[in-house]
Amino acid sequence: MDWVAVALTEDVPPGVVIPSRIEDTDLAIWCTPSGRYHAWSDRCPHRGMRLSHGFVRGETLACIYHGWQYNETGSCDYIPAHPKLTPPDTICVPTYTCAEEGGVIWVSLTDTDRPLPALGGRTPVRSLPVNMSAADLAAHFGATTFTTIAVVSDVDVLLAVQPCTGGTCMVHALAAAEADRSSVSHWLENLRATLEGVPA
Amino acid sequence: MNAAIDNHWYPVAMITGIDAPRETLLLGKKITLGREDGTCWVLDASGAELPTVERFGHLWTSPGQPNRDLFTIPEADNPGRRLVDVGSVKVKCSPLRAVENFLDIAHFPFVHTDILGAEPHTEVDRYDVKIREEVDEVWATKVKFYQPQAAKSAAGGITTEYMYRVPAPTCSVLYKTCPPRPGEWDIITLFVQPLTDEWCEVWPWMALYDDDSTMSEMVSFQQLIFMQDRSILENQIPRKLPLDPGMEVPTQADMTSVAYRRWLKKIGYTYGAQLVAA
Amino acid sequence: MILYDYVLSASCYKVRLMAALLGTPLTLRAVNFHPGREHKSPEMLALNPKGTLPILQDGDTVLTDSADILRHLTADHPEWQSSDDDRWLDFASDLNDSLGLARLHDVIGYAADIDTARAAGVTALRKLEAHLTEQRFEGLIFLTGKTPTIADIACFPNTALAPDGGVSLDPYPSIRLWMRAIRSLPGFIEMPGIHRLHELAHPA
Repeated sequence: MDWVAVALTEDVPPGVVIPSRIEDTDLAIWCTPSGRYHAWSDRCPHRGMRLSHGFVRGETLACIYHGWQYNETGSCDYIPAHPKLTPPDTICVPTYTCAEEGGVIWVSLTDTDRPLPALGGRTPVRSLPVNMSAADLAAHFGATTFTTIAVVSDVDVLLAVQPCTGGTCMVHALAAAEADRSSVSHWLENLRATLEGVPA
Repeated sequence: MNAAIDNHWYPVAMITGIDAPRETLLLGKKITLGREDGTCWVLDASGAELPTVERFGHLWTSPGQPNRDLFTIPEADNPGRRLVDVGSVKVKCSPLRAVENFLDIAHFPFVHTDILGAEPHTEVDRYDVKIREEVDEVWATKVKFYQPQAAKSAAGGITTEYMYRVPAPTCSVLYKTCPPRPGEWDIITLFVQPLTDEWCEVWPWMALYDDDSTMSEMVSFQQLIFMQDRSILENQIPRKLPLDPGMEVPTQADMTSVAYRRWLKKIGYTYGAQLVAA
Repeated sequence: MILYDYVLSASCYKVRLMAALLGTPLTLRAVNFHPGREHKSPEMLALNPKGTLPILQDGDTVLTDSADILRHLTADHPEWQSSDDDRWLDFASDLNDSLGLARLHDVIGYAADIDTARAAGVTALRKLEAHLTEQRFEGLIFLTGKTPTIADIACFPNTALAPDGGVSLDPYPSIRLWMRAIRSLPGFIEMPGIHRLHELAHPA
């Protein structure tokens, strides 16, 4: 499996957890207070609650439901209902390969030795949801893969496309550092309107 | 037809809320209910009349042939109690998830913060749980927890004692320390109508000793609490309740939930349950 | 000041939240909106013939529109007002008519064309996301500038409660950071469906 862009780093500041997904795999993406990113299965093993609704406290991610805290390896190391208990090693959250490059958080659902996608020195602009599948979006631009799609029109933009559930996708757009981000953002809104066939 | 599921009584309406006939769902099937000359009726999709019971302010029905009467709560009849129709809230989760959440106290500090619980008072002491075979009900007793504001009638933080009872698969009755009347129990129930196996309508009902709060205040308090739970219930994966061990990890604080799941499995109540790990 | 309040109402929460952030005490009168329909009772209709909530009573003044109430509460707090507020107060009523309606439908069974309400809600969220993204390009986090105003307080509740009506907030990073900034404000209070930031608590 190839790398997939799941969020921009500026949208996941230290101490924040967000929901994300790759197709049908729900992810909790979080950043420790010291700035390390993690991509986990978005499900607390205790009662199935989405961890993306939880909170970062210290270098742990805690579930909102019962406050169970998971350290950076995904192992549970604190259960508030039993403060004196050392939780068994078996209580852990499945974790995925996660890396940060060029202001983008990348995830691979399987171990990979592929290099991270080249971004050509571009920097992130914004992410936006599009009601179109990642494959159809790639096909629209004549691209064979949606990992990154270079678009050269009136603006030079690189689109890193994240396939989501229900035939939708999230588009993470990057542009040259000197580009006017507001113009790129408007171009994206118009692109989405064209792709979805609705007025912007 | 599955007798283990159909032969139970289910809440389908608050009696005071029935005016014109209306449709709803029960176990995924359309039913129609109404009231004529003060008596409530329920019809199934084919127009056949279903049995009814009017109790605890609610209308109950069954798509099957219940082999016993709807459970009773004798304590609720004690003079001086105020009976509170809380109204219903719809939730996209298994009816069994809604009941299990009601049986859980460990979430209070995080979901009902500063009301039913608060850090650092998170510890759950051992309590007693058993399936009372003679009545075929799940009971948890001697459940104690520190609560900043246990009820609308509570003036400050107290250690509250709870008894939980599951008299039917989609219903639970909670007996709880009554702040203004030490020695008596407040009664708070959760009656769950299974609309489908992943969608339910929850009808809380209460019988409280509280001479000071207005009825609206008591309704508000319970709606506040239940709506705090709703955002949890709609975000548990899977929406159905896993009955097989292995998919979710309980601890000692979850003894009531473990007994509830075991009991559901024993009586063959599988509606809204997930039996095989996904 | 007396607020006739319904605990699950997003519009009543705007008023409670604004007052909490200002440190203005409110006397709350619980109204049994659901299931009691007490807002349509003769006593309440005498106070507000529209039969809606919230109602704020301040001496002889009775206000029944949440935007008017926000302006009234902040009359002596110019830092909470901006010249851009009006368009966002209008936008807040769009949110109420779309996301707010979807929520009432899904939670307490209000009659609604749910697909239309949700679609209008998504359109509104996309507008909000686009604006907040522009603000972030300028280094600003709130709707009208560096600090929050009544615009933010008016738009926050129905946005944050969108999932109650079956509308996901997952794909809107700028909205998420904006909501977090509001939840971080000193004096912030939650309502059911909106959790406080537990990371700010002091555990054992």
